[in-house]
Amino acid sequence: MEGNSYTLTSAMRSNMILLDYCKTSMSALSGFTAGVIGLYGAYGFIFYFLCAFLVWAMILIRMGPNYKKYFHKRITIFTNGLGSGLFTYVLFWTFLYGMVNVY
Amino acid sequence: MSELLLDTSIRAWVFLPIVIISFLFGILRHYVSILISSTKNIELHQVQDSQLLIRSRFLRENGKYIPKQSFLMRRHYLNNEETGYLKAGSRRPAQAPNPMSDPSMMTDMLKGNLTNVLPMILIGGWINWTFSGFVCTKVPFPLTLRFKPMLQRGIELMSLDASWVSSASWYFLNVFGLRSIYTLVLGENNAADQTRMMQDQMSGAAMAMPPDPKQAFKAEWEALEISNHQWALKNIENDFIGEKSNNQEVTPTS
Amino acid sequence: MPTEISQSETDPSSSSSSLRQQRQHQPAGRRIGFDEAREILQKWREENARCPEKVRDLWIHCLSKCKSLGDERWLIVEQVAMAGMDLHDTSLIKECLSILESKFPKSSRVRRLKVMANVEMRERYEEALKTYDAMIKKDEANSILYKRKIAILIAQKRTPEIIKELSEYLKKFMNDTEAWLELCDVYIQDQAYSKAAFCMEELIITNPHNHLYHQRFAEIQYTIGTTESLELARSYFAQAVKLNPSNLRALYGLQLTAYTLSNQPRTVSQKKKENAKISAWATTQITKLYQESNEKSLPVVESMMANLQL
Repeated sequence: MEGNSYTLTSAMRSNMILLDYCKTSMSALSGFTAGVIGLYGAYGFIFYFLCAFLVWAMILIRMGPNYKKYFHKRITIFTNGLGSGLFTYVLFWTFLYGMVNVY
Repeated sequence: MSELLLDTSIRAWVFLPIVIISFLFGILRHYVSILISSTKNIELHQVQDSQLLIRSRFLRENGKYIPKQSFLMRRHYLNNEETGYLKAGSRRPAQAPNPMSDPSMMTDMLKGNLTNVLPMILIGGWINWTFSGFVCTKVPFPLTLRFKPMLQRGIELMSLDASWVSSASWYFLNVFGLRSIYTLVLGENNAADQTRMMQDQMSGAAMAMPPDPKQAFKAEWEALEISNHQWALKNIENDFIGEKSNNQEVTPTS
Repeated sequence: MPTEISQSETDPSSSSSSLRQQRQHQPAGRRIGFDEAREILQKWREENARCPEKVRDLWIHCLSKCKSLGDERWLIVEQVAMAGMDLHDTSLIKECLSILESKFPKSSRVRRLKVMANVEMRERYEEALKTYDAMIKKDEANSILYKRKIAILIAQKRTPEIIKELSEYLKKFMNDTEAWLELCDVYIQDQAYSKAAFCMEELIITNPHNHLYHQRFAEIQYTIGTTESLELARSYFAQAVKLNPSNLRALYGLQLTAYTLSNQPRTVSQKKKENAKISAWATTQITKLYQESNEKSLPVVESMMANLQL
């Protein structure tokens, strides 16, 4: 009937929080990297999405085929927190870019 | 790379301090708000109201799993014209939340202001005053002229490229961008939060109570009134005898 | 590792553990590290499981001297105090309560623990009731205090009063599943089955994916035993089986209800056939389940099935 509604909301939420941690760390670290190597313009954004994709792939590999145990859809792991992560990424990117390449 | 050369002391005395100040300030604010937040004393009727609303929502959503008669009985209990709980709730005189008459509410408001708005203005003003007029850094992507007032607050230079950032704007960028870092550093549900959650196990739901229960009751009453009962278990056994043959291959999971 | 989000199957009759006791048996033996002990205790706290001996052991061997627990320490101490009460270990209770009291001198939660240890444990129930009443007056929205009162009534087996208090409580805290379960149990003991069924319906609404709720509701309807309620029972047993295909008890229930219905004198023959079919299906499922788990028991099951068909 509704195969995906047999869920514990609390567990669901804690998974989402964990995922958020991963995403934030990922965006901060990739922002650092992009700033240090001095990516400019569209390359930086491409780099961000590449990193997000990489993390997504890594999480999927870690979970293996039974991802349904932890998340409803694979794609939510990718899209969740993508926008807010971009904000963090841009901040760190600008920060390091300014530190290394502007002065 | 950049057509403008910035003095390195700007980096040491403006650019970095702003980052550090805004980060540390966020952490400080977090702890101060923990320090001065008071444990709210929840009143019984608030708990009751919120529980009632939750129950009504459950009935709407999952009512299809109970027999029709039971569903109608519950709906009548909540919704009937004279004594129904939701009806009575929506008819109850709305106590206008007047902050002046309720001193505890006033202190709460004051505390909210103290931790959120006031420091924002103070620190923002201070940063503006101390570090005003510096071109700090450059965003590593081209921007259109529209972004100039946003990123170059405090600098009125027509000829400057839009991707340069002034010190005041750098501070605001930090304030917004560091939000998710705070959840990473401070933790979303650390031990302190858990303790608080366990202290008011059941009444925790009351926190989510909308400010005006009358409206909520009315909306819930309407929603429940139009919800129909479709018994989900009707003819459920036929699934077994219908798909008897192919169901036998499926090994039951234990 | 992320937490699993699939529903854990809690037995409805045993999850009401703040009102009643539940014991879990864990394999004992090997030494347990500090982090592991902490995790075990946290798990038990969340599940409301009580295993007082183990809790005491963990506390004495692993956690009592540890200083790095942070705020979790107070929760653990409370848990240990409860374990001490289960074991009537007065020295342990005293130790825990003194720790808690020095930290939270004004807390009503600590006060409640003290009342539990000093008054309730010594079975001075009337005094405890009075104290709780006074505490409720101060803090009306504290559901645990009401529950303590009800627990005292349960300990004294004052059934009519239990029912009255529980209904009063449920008027205030309508979504407390534990209390609904308890009320359901009390009604079943009182043989007020239709009222018990009402409580189970309430539980089904709060969590329609728990097969044990459906199974329980069906059992109650089966006990009522009229044709309509038998049909209801059949549907709910079927739902329970659907939610968990290895729920043997529901399968037996389905088999029995369908069989009884197929032998009911005043039903249409088509319905009789249907019921016979369902009953046969349930029988094959049951035998299959036994086959999978244990080959040896199969003849026993088959002979029992033959007996049931009588």
